[in-house]
Amino acid sequence: MARLHFLKPGLQTTIQDLGRQGVQDLGIPINGAMDKASAQLANQLVGNNANSPVLEITLLGPKIQFEGPCQIAITGADLSAEINGNTIPLFRTINIEHGDVLSFGKPLIGCRAYLAINGKWDIQSWLGSFSASATNTAQTTPDSIIVKDQILEIIRGKDQPIITISESERPSLSIETPIKVYPGPEFEAFSAVEKQSFFGDRFTIGQDSNRMGYRLNEALNGYTKKEEVISSGVIPGTIQITNSGQPIVLMADAQTTGGYPRIANVSSTELDRLAHFKPGDTVRFELISFK
Amino acid sequence: MKIVRFGDSALLVNFEQKIDEAINNQVLSLYKQLQEHKEVTFLIPAYCSLTVGFSENTSFKTLSKQIEELNSKIQSKNLELNSKIIHIPVCYEAPYALDINEVSEKTGLTQQEIIDTHCQETYKVYMLGFVAGFAYLGSLPEQLFCPRKAEPRKEVLAGSVGLAGLQTGIYPANAPGGWQIIGRTPIPTFNPKTENPTLLKAGDAVKFKSISSSEFEEIEKQVSSNTFNLEEYYG
Repeated sequence: MARLHFLKPGLQTTIQDLGRQGVQDLGIPINGAMDKASAQLANQLVGNNANSPVLEITLLGPKIQFEGPCQIAITGADLSAEINGNTIPLFRTINIEHGDVLSFGKPLIGCRAYLAINGKWDIQSWLGSFSASATNTAQTTPDSIIVKDQILEIIRGKDQPIITISESERPSLSIETPIKVYPGPEFEAFSAVEKQSFFGDRFTIGQDSNRMGYRLNEALNGYTKKEEVISSGVIPGTIQITNSGQPIVLMADAQTTGGYPRIANVSSTELDRLAHFKPGDTVRFELISFK
Repeated sequence: MKIVRFGDSALLVNFEQKIDEAINNQVLSLYKQLQEHKEVTFLIPAYCSLTVGFSENTSFKTLSKQIEELNSKIQSKNLELNSKIIHIPVCYEAPYALDINEVSEKTGLTQQEIIDTHCQETYKVYMLGFVAGFAYLGSLPEQLFCPRKAEPRKEVLAGSVGLAGLQTGIYPANAPGGWQIIGRTPIPTFNPKTENPTLLKAGDAVKFKSISSSEFEEIEKQVSSNTFNLEEYYG
């Protein structure tokens, strides 16, 4: 048994896996890691299944004291991770000794880091997922939002060889390259001018953006109010245009239905990269066609 | 019916874009047929559309073809969905009926007429959405038509029963919302501790029953001590 004692919880540290699929017909969001590729790589490095729980660490990381040895790996954003004050490599299996302290410093690249720990986590799952549920969290996934002095217990798995994922195999965290999107169900409801603005302009990620969705500050140029869509399904990656002409990009905790026109859908792999944009960053969209 | 792509791992089946019971029956028939499909990862039935998530082991083309075949078979079958009526007790008195005066002004009905009209109809669950377990019920009798509140509330309490246009619904949890609140049910419509966390599912039939505030308190007590049984309550 290894125990993690959270001396500091960090800005927003939650437990996530690949999400809660198959209950969207009950109005229950998918949830799950914002950057699924990085979450899976972290698990791979410590020998866990791809859908095992990980800690999703946002911008300002927690401070964790380990009780008992274990193996960990950190992927995704570079949030200046240190063990006992010494910088540690990302995308690599790391052996932890009893008493080690993992802390984070300045966010250098990206927004969300993923911490995997070798073994079985002693936490509650709900409807097939360990991911922090946005609904009735206290009843459904009580340990999933990390608080100060929380203890997380891990039943240690078999020790794994130390592996490093090479630079070329790591997911891109670039916030410069445009985000690739497919045309959405209501794409044709938008005028040429509106489309030109959507694919030509830069949009700023709003301060009130979160795991449910990114609100973009700028309205589409030449936007005219559209007829409301009769409430219909939405999924992570769906980009809706609100009545004020501002885009909202739905993310992992998105609700399951909506009534705004859906101009585009972010491609699944690009959605992982979008998870690393933070409020104040700007984003551009690039149209791609279906294969 | 028209099938369009919806990102790289989902598709959207659009029926005639109208809130209509017969159209929604087609959505729900297709939804039920696809529940057993092994490459389908999730389904979101709505008023007149069905979102279908699919795995990497199939393609848009293959799945669309299968859906078209399924749908043509459904067309020729009876679209009646079997559903028993779920009776939900509602107290339409203060302090639960926050907007009943506003609804009275907007519809020209007395409070008693609002209650009687709301209770006389059997509603269909068209879809769930907005928050976990929120069921969109329809259609209200025309005379109860009432627009949403101009300013949505920051928090509507769980169990609140509201109206919006020709729709009615029950808030499964505390949530922000602009529906006109005319009462509250003491029974939980969302219970995460059970395997089937939502009381209502798309396709169910619902009828409301007016109860007094003392009955409300009695049921509330039974609910909190885990002794309330909806089926027993109605015999």
